[in-house]
Amino acid sequence: MSVAWQQSTHGVLRRQEKVNRTLLMTFAAITVMAVGLGVLYLGLVASSAHLSSDIWHMHSEMAEIQRESSRLETEIARLSSIPVLQVRSVALGYQAAESIEYVDIEVRAP
Amino acid sequence: MLRGPEARLRLVTALLIAALLPVIGQLVRLQILDRDRYQAEVEELVMRPYALPVPPAGTIRDRNGDLLVGNIPIYSVGAQIELITDTQIAAAALAPLLGLDEATLLEKFVIQEDEKDLEWVWRHLANGVRGENAEAVKELKRTTWDWLTLVATWQRFYPESELASHTLGFVNADGDGYGIEAAQFHLLQPRPAAAMGEVDVLRVPLSEELAKGDLRAFAGTDIKLTIDRTIQAFVEGELDKALRLYGASGGTILVMNPQTGEILASASYPDYNPSLYNIYDTSEQYRFVDPAVSVVYEPGSVFKMFTVAIALNSGSVTQDWSYYDSGLIEYGGVLVRNSDGGAHGQQNLQGVIDHSLNVGAATLTTQHIGADVFADYLLRFGFGRTTNVGLFGEAAGLVHLPWDLNWSDGYLPTNAFGQGIAVTPIQLVTAASMLANHGMMMKPRLITERRTPEGQVVTIPPKEEGQLVSVETADYVVGLMEHAVETSIVKAQVPGYRIAGKTGTAQIPVSGGYDPVEVITSFIGFGPLPDPQLLILVKLDRPQVDLNVRWGTQTAAPVFNQVASRLFVLLGIPPTEPIDP
Repeated sequence: MSVAWQQSTHGVLRRQEKVNRTLLMTFAAITVMAVGLGVLYLGLVASSAHLSSDIWHMHSEMAEIQRESSRLETEIARLSSIPVLQVRSVALGYQAAESIEYVDIEVRAP
Repeated sequence: MLRGPEARLRLVTALLIAALLPVIGQLVRLQILDRDRYQAEVEELVMRPYALPVPPAGTIRDRNGDLLVGNIPIYSVGAQIELITDTQIAAAALAPLLGLDEATLLEKFVIQEDEKDLEWVWRHLANGVRGENAEAVKELKRTTWDWLTLVATWQRFYPESELASHTLGFVNADGDGYGIEAAQFHLLQPRPAAAMGEVDVLRVPLSEELAKGDLRAFAGTDIKLTIDRTIQAFVEGELDKALRLYGASGGTILVMNPQTGEILASASYPDYNPSLYNIYDTSEQYRFVDPAVSVVYEPGSVFKMFTVAIALNSGSVTQDWSYYDSGLIEYGGVLVRNSDGGAHGQQNLQGVIDHSLNVGAATLTTQHIGADVFADYLLRFGFGRTTNVGLFGEAAGLVHLPWDLNWSDGYLPTNAFGQGIAVTPIQLVTAASMLANHGMMMKPRLITERRTPEGQVVTIPPKEEGQLVSVETADYVVGLMEHAVETSIVKAQVPGYRIAGKTGTAQIPVSGGYDPVEVITSFIGFGPLPDPQLLILVKLDRPQVDLNVRWGTQTAAPVFNQVASRLFVLLGIPPTEPIDP
């Protein structure tokens, strides 16, 4: 065995060993923190990707709702358009008023 | 052999470092040395243009909010045909929905020889799928055949069909067209959002792209018109009846509120269905010109109201002016006669309007007003320039001015009764509204409100263009016109309402002179006096009735009566005078 090894195993370099343990602890702490930060970063990225995907789908859903809304609006407008209403009112027996007379109402103070 | 653990430790360390070196080397190569190359490759692989769904264009509504122009979604349908397993069933189900026959669809489903090596084959099936058919295709995609693809876009939709077609107009994708659609294209068109960025295989942008968050699409601005669709429909119906009754080749009815300049209806024939504008033949381009704003004509005797107003307001004559009508006046080499060819003896301003005396009007311009003053007033009244009502392709008309090189003295007597001058119907009603509105000219308006996609409402208020003639002058001329309706133009009278008006029967200029037979008959009337809320111009082109009744009094005035009678009711304007039972 080498001299250095013997010194180490027999306690001759005990003070230096203490320093190495501190370094080890520091290294371990940094590693844990780095892993933690990495996990946090990956989590954020995953969350961001998920949210982005949600936003994109919301854009699509919003566009679909807008299309449906426009379709219904134009359908209502078509059904309540004057040509359609004329046909419907004639079918219901309505006729255009030939002469309109106004009634003059005298309003008296109570 | 290595001796001792320390040496072996060194060896292991050296081997580890040696193994790591190529990795570090590669990293340096990839990240530093060949960085640009790999960056370009990645960009080529994932950088693609992507876009948010296109929002709709702005809508156009009437003054009560009823939809005149909307948007419907239409779909382009395709298929990833290598995924189709049941082609016969799919073709049978889809053919009626896509408007194709089954055999055509089956042909589209066949993978061609040169496509067999492809991983996937997409085929376009149909365009313009809309309404219930589109809903059915979407349902099939959702429940049964996910190989169907649908790409949505928008199409303009006119729920009232031909109603107000000239006013609404249309545009192509480049904004070329006419009517409100073309004039307001910059506001109506949507603002789509598109960008170049990193996308996945489905062209969905990656999270980093969306996280930028600066991509927003906006729908077009909504527009509310001054047009009332009920009035518009009624007026169009009356114009149609009049054209058939009198055999006229075309015509226009304009309805305006003289107090605000709002155009309540603008009907012209020939018209068309804006939804189907592409089916009309290219030789029918005249259909796509709005006669109310883009076609000029010689207005004829309706113009005398302006001549009298100018004479009074300029101080050229007073209200008690009179002249001797010999039935003839010569000025600038032009011989002017009355339309009935007769001489009317001593006449005053009332006589000029009542009997529509060309000689009287020409006497006013040539003997009293003078060319410079007359021209100055015509320009102030808006003739010879566009009204900027907000429609595409508005014509300026033609006014001969004394300082023009081609001026001839002969224009002065003829312009007095609306000959040798070309105006548009919109110019005429705007100027007549000025007289009806006690001399205050209002800017003609078609748009009353704009609503931005962010919800901001911009109201466009009435705009005064100026007091062009004094209240006294305007009211006096209106009084003359009221008397004319009471005594001469009885067919324009509306029981219970005080009406003022003036007829016109204008000759049509042709090469070398005027058409000896064909005329344009017209009537401008307004009421109820003293504060008219309605002004109506009726203009009929080339009525084919007996020559004895081919006059504005016989053709346009009765149409005015029909329109005004109903519009007073529709607008809730009660009679101001007692009605004889």
